[in-house]
Amino acid sequence: MSALTTTAVGSYAKPDYLTKARTEFSQGKISREELGKLERRATEFWIRTQERIGLDVLVHGEMERGDMVAYFAGEPGGRTIGGMKLGGLVRAYGNRYYHKPIIFDRLEWPGPMTVEMWRFSQSLTERPVKGMLTGAYTMVEWSFDEHYPSRRDAVLDMAKVIRREVEELVQAGAKYIQIDEPAIHTRPHEDFDLAVEAMRVTVEGIDAEFHTHICYGEVEKIYPDMLRLPVKQIHLAFKNTDFAYLKLMEEHAYDSDKDLGVGVTDVHTRFTESVDEVKEGLRRVLKLLPPERLWILPDCGLKTRTVEESEAKLQVMVDAVREIKRELEIE
Amino acid sequence: MPQPSGCGSVKDMQTTVVGNYPKIPNRPRPARLRQALNRRDRGEITNEELAGVEDEVTIEVINEQAQAGVDIVSDGQVRWDDDQTYVMRRLQGVEIGGLQRYLDTNTYYRQPEITGAVRWLEPVLVRHWQFAQEHSPQPVKAIVPGPYTLAALSLDKHYGSREKLSLALAEQLRFEIDTLVAAGCRHIQVNDPVIVFNKEDIGIFAAAVRRLLQDVAAETGLYTWFGDASTILEPLLELPVDVIGLDFVAGPHNWTALRGRRFEKKLGFGVVDGRNTRVETPAEIAEAIKRVSDLVPPERLYVNPSCGLEYVPREVAFEKLKTMVEGARRAQGVPA
Repeated sequence: MSALTTTAVGSYAKPDYLTKARTEFSQGKISREELGKLERRATEFWIRTQERIGLDVLVHGEMERGDMVAYFAGEPGGRTIGGMKLGGLVRAYGNRYYHKPIIFDRLEWPGPMTVEMWRFSQSLTERPVKGMLTGAYTMVEWSFDEHYPSRRDAVLDMAKVIRREVEELVQAGAKYIQIDEPAIHTRPHEDFDLAVEAMRVTVEGIDAEFHTHICYGEVEKIYPDMLRLPVKQIHLAFKNTDFAYLKLMEEHAYDSDKDLGVGVTDVHTRFTESVDEVKEGLRRVLKLLPPERLWILPDCGLKTRTVEESEAKLQVMVDAVREIKRELEIE
Repeated sequence: MPQPSGCGSVKDMQTTVVGNYPKIPNRPRPARLRQALNRRDRGEITNEELAGVEDEVTIEVINEQAQAGVDIVSDGQVRWDDDQTYVMRRLQGVEIGGLQRYLDTNTYYRQPEITGAVRWLEPVLVRHWQFAQEHSPQPVKAIVPGPYTLAALSLDKHYGSREKLSLALAEQLRFEIDTLVAAGCRHIQVNDPVIVFNKEDIGIFAAAVRRLLQDVAAETGLYTWFGDASTILEPLLELPVDVIGLDFVAGPHNWTALRGRRFEKKLGFGVVDGRNTRVETPAEIAEAIKRVSDLVPPERLYVNPSCGLEYVPREVAFEKLKTMVEGARRAQGVPA
C-alpha cells in the first residue's frame, strides 16, 4: 500500500431492493431495523466487490445515505445533527428539486452518526475502510441558516460537531477519515480562510490520516490556497477536466507534505475508459509526483452509475495501476 | 387582500418582486409543473399540454403575489429554466451547453455557447407578458435578461471579446424591448446581476445598457443582486434607466454608497433575503424602509426581495412577500 494506493471516493449505487425499502421506510411501511438490515446487506455487497476488484483502501458505499448533507440534517432514516431539519423543496436546475436543510437552532452533536456503519463495514474486511464525513463548510453552505448571526459562527459550530464525530470514529479504530468539502470554492476570496479554519477545528490534534475531496467547481480559484488545508491528502477530479489541474501544479508546486488523490475515471460518463487511457493519465501525474505520494481513485462518488458501470470503472483503474507498477517496477 | 390597482397616492412607495418565484408548492399541494415536465419527458403528454400547465401555474403564482399584496408582480418566470437560457436558446448563433454553477449558489444553469453572430429572430417574451398581464389583477413587469450578464455567463466561441458580445446582445435584445413597449408593457426590468462581481467591466456594462435601453417609452429598471454596487453606483446612476435595483442583504455596502449622494432615480430596495428561509418580521422591514427613506424619498422607492425567490421553498416565498408588504404598510403608517 505504499505506492499508487487505490481507493474510491465514497458513494455507490443503491441496489433496487434498497431504493424500494428507503421509500417504504419514509412512508412508514417498514421499520428502521428492517431498513438497516438491507443497508448492511448492500454494504457487504460493495465491500466484497471492492475486495474482488482489488482496491487497497475501501469505502463503505454510503448505502444508508441519500444525500451527503441531508443525511445529517433530517433525511428519513438519517442521523440528524441537533438544530437541523429538512426544509421544503427548492430547485437545483431544470426539473430537479431537493429538500434543502435548515439550521434552525444551535448545532449539537446528536451522538454517533456514522460509527455503527463504519464498524460494521470494517468488521467485514481486513483492508482499511475510510470514515466518511461531510465537512463543516459544505454542511453550512448547502443549508439555510436561520439561527446564527454570521456564516462564520455557523461554520465553526458545525466544525465542532463534525470533530466530535471524528473523535468517535477514531476511537472506534478508523485510521483514515475523509472529510468532503465540495462547496469549498463557492466564495474563494471571501471565505477560504474560514474553510481552512473549520478544517483545523475539525481535525487538529487527532491521531488519524485525514483526506478531503473537492470536486468540480473552480479549483483554479482555490489553488494553491487549498494547500493550507490541514489534511494529509486532497483528492481532485482530474479526469473530468482532462488533467487540466496538472498545469496549476506545474505553476505552483503541490505541497510536499501532502499526498495527492487523483481521479482517473469520469463518473459522469456511462462508458468505461480503457486501461490504456487510465495509464496515460497516471503517467502524466507521475511526472509531477512520485508514486508513493499518489492515491488513485474515480473522480467522485459513483452513486450515479449502475453497479456494472461502477465495477467496470473500478476494474480498469486497478488494472491500469497494476500494469504501471509492473512497468515501473514499483511495489 | 390585494390592493386595487393604482391604490395609494403618488407619494407612496410600491412593493414589487425581482423576478422568479418558486414553481412548485410543497405537500399537500400538488407539484403540477414538476409532474407535467416529467410526463412530457416520458412522452405521456404533448408540449401543448405542458404549455397549458405552465399557463395555469403562471396564473397561480401571479395570484399568489397579488394575494400577498405586491403592487407590481412578475409572471414568476415559470417557463424559465434559469435566467440565461430562456432567451438565449431562441437567438441565432447560440447553442446550449453543459451545467454550470450559478454564481455563488448551489443551483445550476445550462451554459449558452456563442457559436456565431447573435441574431434576434422573433419575439420571445411579449406573448407570455401579454398572457400574464391579461390574467393579473396587478401590473406585470416584463423581465429581460441583461446583455452583460448573458455575455459573462456564456461560453464565447465567436466574438473573442466580452465587450463585442455584450454589445451585440444588447443590440439584438433591443427588439425584445421594442416589442414589449409596442404591446403596451409599462414596466420593463433588465436583470443584470453579474456586474457586481466584475466591477472593472462597468464601461462595457454601461455601453450595453445604453444600447439596450436608450429612449424607451416605459419605466425601465436595472437590477443587480448577490453583492454591492458601491463603487459603481455613480456610473449606474448616469444610465438611461428609471430604477436601479440593489441587494441590501448580500451587499450591505450599498448603504454606505447611498449616503451623501443625491439618488435621482427610483431605488429597487432589495431588503427581504431571497436566499434564506428565515422570514423577516414586519417591524424589521419597516425599520429598514424608514432608514432608507432618509436617503431616497418614499415615492421613489420600490420595496422588493434581494433577488428572485426561487432559492427558497414556495410557502416561504409567499410568507416573505406578505411580511414585506406588511412592513411597507407599517412604514407608511397604514394599519396592516
